[in-house]
Amino acid sequence: MFDAPHSPVLCDMIRHAVNSPDKIALVEGTERVSYKRLLANVYSAAGYLQSLGLKPGNRIMLSAQKEVEFVYLYFAAHLLGIVNVVVDAASPRDRLDYIMDIAKPLVVFGNNLAVDGCRCCSFGDIPFDKCDAVSLPSDLKATDVADVMFTTGTTGAPKGVCLSHANIAGSASNTNGFIGTCFDDVEALALPLSHSFGLGRMRCVLSVGATLVLVGSFANLKSFFNVLETEHVTGFGMVPAVWQYIKRLSGRRISKFAGQLRYIEIGSAAMPLEDKHLLMEIFPTTRLCMHYGLTEASRAMFCEFHSDADNLDSVGHPASSLVDVRVLDDDGQPLANGVDGEICVRGNMVCSSYFLPQDNHDAFHGEWFRTGDWGHRDSNGRFYLTGRKKELINVGGEKVSPVTIEKAILSLGVADCACVAVPDPQGVLGEVPKAYLVKGDVALEIDDIKQRLSDLLPPHEIPVQWEWVDLIPRTSSGKIQRLKLKS
Amino acid sequence: MESQVKEIIARVLNVDIAVVTDDLSSGDIPEWDSVGNLAIISTLEQELDLEFPLEDLFDLTSVRSLIDEVNKLSDV
Repeated sequence: MFDAPHSPVLCDMIRHAVNSPDKIALVEGTERVSYKRLLANVYSAAGYLQSLGLKPGNRIMLSAQKEVEFVYLYFAAHLLGIVNVVVDAASPRDRLDYIMDIAKPLVVFGNNLAVDGCRCCSFGDIPFDKCDAVSLPSDLKATDVADVMFTTGTTGAPKGVCLSHANIAGSASNTNGFIGTCFDDVEALALPLSHSFGLGRMRCVLSVGATLVLVGSFANLKSFFNVLETEHVTGFGMVPAVWQYIKRLSGRRISKFAGQLRYIEIGSAAMPLEDKHLLMEIFPTTRLCMHYGLTEASRAMFCEFHSDADNLDSVGHPASSLVDVRVLDDDGQPLANGVDGEICVRGNMVCSSYFLPQDNHDAFHGEWFRTGDWGHRDSNGRFYLTGRKKELINVGGEKVSPVTIEKAILSLGVADCACVAVPDPQGVLGEVPKAYLVKGDVALEIDDIKQRLSDLLPPHEIPVQWEWVDLIPRTSSGKIQRLKLKS
Repeated sequence: MESQVKEIIARVLNVDIAVVTDDLSSGDIPEWDSVGNLAIISTLEQELDLEFPLEDLFDLTSVRSLIDEVNKLSDV
């Protein structure tokens, strides 16, 4: 078996291929791939990449298709020190063009990712069954960039996040340590691989020698439940919007799997308290692990619902002893417990830089990555979010978190809502909140909502403008796209 | 009714009507994701003035099953 000392995740996978060669690593439909075959195919794919003339440090663009070939290519690039730029081929064309322009990959891999002026290969072109000899580079380091992930750009153009081999291994190790994913687990992966959450789940599962079942998406819940049953799945990841979807379409049917599911990882957006309680009721013995993190600082904190049942409004504690979280002021000075400031993170999974030098401006306070999220720490070391710093609404000098208003409105029974800053029509206060609402099961008029909010919020936090909409625009990972609402 | 259901699905998903075959299912095309699925259900309910029973929603995974369900509810 070959060696990859620069990549701890690959080292783990190689160890499983040696010690448990017949253990199933990947399942896609009827195809079952053992760890031995997975590593052989990674090696073959590496030979193919070398035959194309690709060298360490070169970049390739990978379409995040939920197929075994994606996994082979992804790790083949890591083996050779080639940098992956993982994208969703269904992204808007201008986003893909922007990423192409910035990242300048030498080859694009994907069945639906034709790009003008660049060599394009579909997954089917790659001879995975042929094992060419690979000349492995000897001077690769764990600090070399493994992946460039482009963030969703809710506050501007997409930013390329440079993640090293050590970063992605650190995130997998922290996450597995907290959740407890182990060799005997079988995980259904229905999250998109183009995002940090889904790609991270893939690395977590393969690094502990567990089995990863690739599922297209959550759209067809009947298929997803069928996979849970037939593959004896013990864990999966989801975003809060998926839980809403599961509730809406299947009621409590998922409770039949409560006995077999050892863990569910939740993340990427806030989850209403009622949903957390419902999950605890349906899954009384499952570890329900909600993460807080960003592509730049993946899985920085965790809250497990059952063990932290009295603090479900918290985003939890740092994920491991190798992660530190602080609340800092604008000058990078630590703030006292209970005082709101910017959540800043340092640790083994925190990216060292963005791809473009100009994006690094103001990204760090020294070694502390600035998340742009606003919140505080309590005396027990738990952290609480109150909003995104850049999204705070400044009402006549009073800083208002849109999240606070949204929580109050949601408690009244609307299905969804989002608040943004708009200019005060009276021209006095600077900014005032505007609320966008999606109708829920409860029949509510704006006047009713305003009336009832007056019991929940101070006057300056009650929205001045209101609008019913069909849908709150969110990224595919569930984050509210406030800029879209403003435009 | 069948062509009306297909027309609504195509419009909601913003795909060509030719794509909306009987055996097309949720998850088969990127446009028919979970958000698209919810939009199909709510648009069919609004425009055809009907309400899918909660216990049936789980099984409404294909164009054919949606057509059959709409026919069933319209007959009542």
